Amino acid sequence: MNIIKHNSFDTFKMLFKQIGGLLVVLGGAMVVPLIVSAVYAEFYSVLGFLLSLTICVTIGLSLYKGIGTTLEPLNRHALIIAALGWLFLAIMGALPFLIIAHITPDHIANLFVPSGEGYSSSLVYFKNPLHAVFESMSAFTTTGLSMAVHEPSIGKGLLFYRSFAQWLGGAGIIVLAIAVLSQNSGRTALFLYGSESSGERLKPTVIETARSIWKIYLGITLFSLVYLVAGTLIFLPDYPISNVIFDSVNHAMAAQSTGGFSSLDNSIATYGSAKMEMLHILPMILGALSLPFFFRLFREKDIRLFWRDLQTRAVILFSIVGGVLLSFMLMESQIISEPFRVGLFQFVSALSTTGWQTADVHVWDSASIFFIVIAGMVVGGAAGATVGGIKMIRVLLFFKGILWKINGFFKSEHSIHVVEFNGKRLLPSEMYKDLGSAAIFSFVYLLFVFVSTLVTFYFMGDGYSISDALFESASAQGTVGLSCGITNPDMSPVLEVLYIVQMWCGRLEIIPVLVLFRTIIMGTRPVVV
Amino acid sequence: MKIVIAGDGEVGFFLAKLLEQEYRDITLIDTQENKLKYVESELGIATVLGDSTSYRVLKESGIAHADLLIAVTSNESVNITTCLIGKRLGAKYTIARISNMEYLIDKETLDLKNLGIDDLISPESLAAREIKYILKSPVLTEAFEIEGGLLNCMGVFIDKSSPLVNRTIKELTQFMPDKQFVVAAINRGGDIIIPRGDTQFKRNDHLFFISTQKQPDAIFDFTGNHNYSIKNVLVIGGSQTGKYVALRLSKYYNITLIEKDIRKCNLLAKSIPNVQVICGDGTDAKLLEREKIYNYDAIVSVTGNSETNIFVCMMAKEYGVKKTVAMVENVGLFDHSRKLGIDSLINKKYAASNFIFRSIHKGGQFSQLYGIDAEILEFVVQKGAKAARVPIRELRFPECAIIAGVVRNGQGFIASGTSQLEPNDKVFVFSMPKSSKVVRSFFC
Repeated sequence: MNIIKHNSFDTFKMLFKQIGGLLVVLGGAMVVPLIVSAVYAEFYSVLGFLLSLTICVTIGLSLYKGIGTTLEPLNRHALIIAALGWLFLAIMGALPFLIIAHITPDHIANLFVPSGEGYSSSLVYFKNPLHAVFESMSAFTTTGLSMAVHEPSIGKGLLFYRSFAQWLGGAGIIVLAIAVLSQNSGRTALFLYGSESSGERLKPTVIETARSIWKIYLGITLFSLVYLVAGTLIFLPDYPISNVIFDSVNHAMAAQSTGGFSSLDNSIATYGSAKMEMLHILPMILGALSLPFFFRLFREKDIRLFWRDLQTRAVILFSIVGGVLLSFMLMESQIISEPFRVGLFQFVSALSTTGWQTADVHVWDSASIFFIVIAGMVVGGAAGATVGGIKMIRVLLFFKGILWKINGFFKSEHSIHVVEFNGKRLLPSEMYKDLGSAAIFSFVYLLFVFVSTLVTFYFMGDGYSISDALFESASAQGTVGLSCGITNPDMSPVLEVLYIVQMWCGRLEIIPVLVLFRTIIMGTRPVVV
Repeated sequence: MKIVIAGDGEVGFFLAKLLEQEYRDITLIDTQENKLKYVESELGIATVLGDSTSYRVLKESGIAHADLLIAVTSNESVNITTCLIGKRLGAKYTIARISNMEYLIDKETLDLKNLGIDDLISPESLAAREIKYILKSPVLTEAFEIEGGLLNCMGVFIDKSSPLVNRTIKELTQFMPDKQFVVAAINRGGDIIIPRGDTQFKRNDHLFFISTQKQPDAIFDFTGNHNYSIKNVLVIGGSQTGKYVALRLSKYYNITLIEKDIRKCNLLAKSIPNVQVICGDGTDAKLLEREKIYNYDAIVSVTGNSETNIFVCMMAKEYGVKKTVAMVENVGLFDHSRKLGIDSLINKKYAASNFIFRSIHKGGQFSQLYGIDAEILEFVVQKGAKAARVPIRELRFPECAIIAGVVRNGQGFIASGTSQLEPNDKVFVFSMPKSSKVVRSFFC
């Protein structure tokens, strides 16, 4: 079936039917934070979620059910659906922030502020729709940049919603929709699945694959939850048990999705305990490992896979080596009092693109910032995980490509110059293909970071340097969420929109968004470029 | 013993021909009418025309009373089906030729025996195994194990510098340490000599030893050959055999494989680790020079064409490659290949039939040797047999045969004139075909 034979209205119908499905899933998911709000007796939040839920489901259902049978989406449609779908997701996902901020009276909102704190509720910032969309995009793309200056003061319901949105966005809303709705044909499901995630099929059918991905994802999150609860009880026995559970639930979801939202004011640093910080490193690393890897791990039940799997080994080694290197660099700069505590935690947080922050990066020396940006945020964790960045597998592929190229000069001209990568032997044509698409993606990625850094430089507030600009823009692009302070409710709207776009692109690996823009600008006709 | 062979070409005919010398009741199933006619008239073997997976054809071949069904067509699915049906129809033991290694690796999981296939045979894989043994001790022309290594058969050429030249076995007995080995046969320009005490060695003799040792060191001390080890191997031809050779050997040697077909090259390069695949014509001297053929210690030519293989090996000798192994499917070329200076020959049909002989195991032919008119026979000494409890010297054993090795209670040793055989000893005899009947009478 070719799109050219149909008018563009048919295509629109098809796209919006699929997006409608996503919105239904989103609306359905809002039931969970609604319940949490009810548990904490935050009735305005309950009302806010109920309203948002109704709007999402109404729009979603009317699109999904209202539009009858449509064309079957092709690969490029799947990419457009992913790009548009995530945009609508962020916009509709902003509703709870916006509605709750508007309907909650100030005196109620200020009750959310923990007793003994001097500040007023940060809920007020979400009255600005742009801030609400920013927060929502940051949540669903698992970034973790926030407009809520003092997180605890927005209420437990919204706090939970933020983490929950990260958790949903991590494994992928489209994957979830495939698993839940199971309406699409196998071919369509495969296209859609590939548009959002690594596209690796674990089970014979895509629907089964999507389901097992969510099962694994849920399983590891539960493991992290138990681990964090147990760890907190051991290291901080005086901490109230209700807080332990609420924090651990939020942190387990934020770590597994490598989102990095925290339910605490100063992220993990709030605990004020080096042990607690080290405790949170493991969930971040688990989040940075690919889900297909965990699938194999559970199927083969062989612990040695941690070492045998190329990406997993690389992520673990990278975390250790990079963390230690960063620590030494920080020690050398003599700015930080505890370089190893900060260096290890921050490097893992950057590499896994989680974004939990325990240090004021703004005061770091440029070399350390440059190092954590390039070696941490730009590289990112394993492909197939919930991370952002260029992703470990591509970086490894480039290194392999270098060896392969050099080695090629020592081969005879007729020999088939195969290369062994990630347990497979690739022919030159396959290697060039893989290298080519990895190179294009990485180039566009770096281009985004480059342009965004320059834009940031001109729109950021006073007192920031170019290295801060680089840090902030790489953080948005890599869906990391570490901030050196440029992101705040008073930032320039230009930058805010820029970061929203960057987070959106970063989550979808840019290409779907470019396909969307190409369609908008040039239509769907094939052209020679 | 009734044997049914299902074939569609060379291997089937060859097996029928070999087995016919030993077992009378053989039926060959084949799809090619003209070839069957030839077999029937020349060899006197019963034939059935048709597809061996057909119920009717199998019945016609007398499968109900067959002791052995061997399916060796080039299509493994046909072979497997034939065995499955044949077993149901009454064949007692079935052997299927396969080309997919998975079956061999995962024998237990599949439990083929339960399905109705008693043994699997892959001539390509067997040939590759032989090449592996040959390259392990490159001075040896032949090397295979008897009774799981209790005895070993090895072949060696002696050149003019050897201390053996122009001396008799009697003179040399003192140099044979502790009866670790015995010269079982000599191939002198195509004529087979079963050595006696007064047999004199000549230069370029091709000696066959039976040894109790797996390592050929003692034999080399005796013959004056210098062992050398192989590091770099050039394989010509990416056929199934070439693939297995590369797969088996890549752990031990640096392997380069030359294949003409680019698609085959790509497949091979993808599937075999640590092997350099080069796309080109193995008979192209320029290509071989560019690939620095003189740097290789051994060349293994296993293209589908015997003449090509012989030619490539001759070229390699010119370039100074020490060890050449050629796959020669054309039996008529064996003798000439040796004369042309090819060190070792490989033949899939021989490999397959030797394997089948060994798996039938019922006293009789154990192994056929490459290109020479001698065979190794295996017997179990019966109670009251002529050979039992008499010194071998007094046996009046035929001139054209020699008792080479004995396995008793799980130990192998070399028989000498004074040793006596006990009942239940397993005896391995080197014999020319003409005396095999007489030889048999000594043990039964």
